[in-house]
Amino acid sequence: MTYVIIGASAAGAQAAEDLRKLDPDGDIRILTEEAGPPYSRCLISRYADGRLQERDLYFKTDHFAADHRIHYSSGVRVTSIRPGSNTVICDNGETVVYDKLLLATGSRPWLPAIPGCDLEGVCTFHSLKDAQAITAQTSPTQTVAIIGAGFAGLEAAYALARKRLKVTVVERCGQILPNQLDAQGATIIHRDLERMGVQIILNQSVAAINGSDRATGVMLAEKPQVQADFVIVATGTEPNKGLAAQAGLETARGIRVSNRLQTSAPHIFAAGDAIEIDDVSTGKRMPSATWFNAVLQGKYAAYNMAGRTRPYTGAVGIQNAVQFHQIPAISLGQVLVDSDSRENVEVVSLSEGDAIYKKLVLKDGRIVGMVFVGDIQKSGFYGALIRDQVDVSRFRHKLLDKDFSYAAVHRGPQFGQRSPYQ
Amino acid sequence: MKKLTVTAEDCTGCRRCEQACIAAHSRAGNAALATLEKPEPKSRILIEYDRGPVPLVCRHCVEPLCVSACMAGCMQKDPETGIVNNVGHEQQCVGCWMCIMACPYGVISPSYDAGGEDQSSFAVALKCDLCPNLDTPACVAACPMNVLAVSDVPEPVFNAKGNVP
Repeated sequence: MTYVIIGASAAGAQAAEDLRKLDPDGDIRILTEEAGPPYSRCLISRYADGRLQERDLYFKTDHFAADHRIHYSSGVRVTSIRPGSNTVICDNGETVVYDKLLLATGSRPWLPAIPGCDLEGVCTFHSLKDAQAITAQTSPTQTVAIIGAGFAGLEAAYALARKRLKVTVVERCGQILPNQLDAQGATIIHRDLERMGVQIILNQSVAAINGSDRATGVMLAEKPQVQADFVIVATGTEPNKGLAAQAGLETARGIRVSNRLQTSAPHIFAAGDAIEIDDVSTGKRMPSATWFNAVLQGKYAAYNMAGRTRPYTGAVGIQNAVQFHQIPAISLGQVLVDSDSRENVEVVSLSEGDAIYKKLVLKDGRIVGMVFVGDIQKSGFYGALIRDQVDVSRFRHKLLDKDFSYAAVHRGPQFGQRSPYQ
Repeated sequence: MKKLTVTAEDCTGCRRCEQACIAAHSRAGNAALATLEKPEPKSRILIEYDRGPVPLVCRHCVEPLCVSACMAGCMQKDPETGIVNNVGHEQQCVGCWMCIMACPYGVISPSYDAGGEDQSSFAVALKCDLCPNLDTPACVAACPMNVLAVSDVPEPVFNAKGNVP
């Protein structure tokens, strides 16, 4: 059996590793555009601030391909897929034949339609290449403007503030991390970043990146422009679904897959940031740019590609853990309660001083979302209650008590049984 | 594969397992002196309460979610011993807390709490390592009620449907 995997990040590398376990004799080929061994995209901020070296980002080590007998082709871009003949065409002219193909093509930065994104001194914060460009082109005491206060933007802000650059973050919404935290949780992280010297401007859209050939700052809709020697655009990501769409596979916001991670073409599977998942916390189908999900999808895709039926269920789109400065935070599931998701929704929250905040979002007796800021102990237990959709009605009075833990459910049959991880 | 087994009904909540765990994972080798160390060692076994005390332990899962969640690749399950741990590998823990978010049992902790002073190096995730340098894990040896035990269990194999039989 010949397995071909496009992409070597979380999903692609995991699938290759599991395929080798499941099929000791199969041919496994990875095709990746990027140079070098698989590296952890989530760690590039720790590379940008100098705490990690490039080698430290190799989450599967640099001898991964040799260890698992994987034919690893880096620096190769796939230009098209031909499902009719089970082949992929590469930019070096090579035609690669597969029995099973995995699209682990990931996501790419989504850029806003504003002038100046193509100037010198403007960069996204998505790849090791980006982090290297930023490291090469910036030095302490310089000023940096970051557009977007999501995870990528704040990771960049934190890294560059550590390197004593003067950082300003501009966010369109009224709080930082608008997709991951609620206002109260965001305030704690906001203060923490300000203590690092990061300036944060909320409720402002960027109208343009200024400069004639090199960026000199960003123009805001209502405020004076922010001067900057360097500009980082961190306004979100979108699934890389182009190859799949061109090949005639079913796509929407991302690549559509079955619960076996199979695309609309029988021998082609897809996993990671490129696909849409059925989020059990919101009941919606959405892309999920999350390391944890990508790895699990890569694993499950490998089983299904190797002919072992293994349904991928219980997915939750938002599953993030973070620590920028001194405050750890976890957000998981449906953390935002908006007008169209308010029905039957109940919120339990707790705050201790100005450093700890916990919130659970409940719907129909089940927890669907969680925000833990400042104290993240036991957050995984709540995460499992969300993923397994456990009815917590009988614990309603003590859900955020200090002594509510896995002990409370350890006798029950309903918990931890759905997934074979125990 | 070695696993810790728990007979929760017999637990009196004396917390000697926690003290022994702290001592075994301190430089001083002593739970009282460990309180002076920075970062202060934390117990990796936790006495929590249901109707009575219940020791919560790492299961060293067959397919550990903490391993899948780890963005540094340092959390690994040893193929020989079955022990799941984030130290002693080429990759280093950087304190991203994905494992803490992923563990259904809530038995992984950050090495220091929010507000810790050390900003230059990484805080790391702390979890049960089954005391690889001891014949018997410290918590098991310290338990006066024989609530905790180590047993050798065969590693389950996934069947064709992907389930543990």
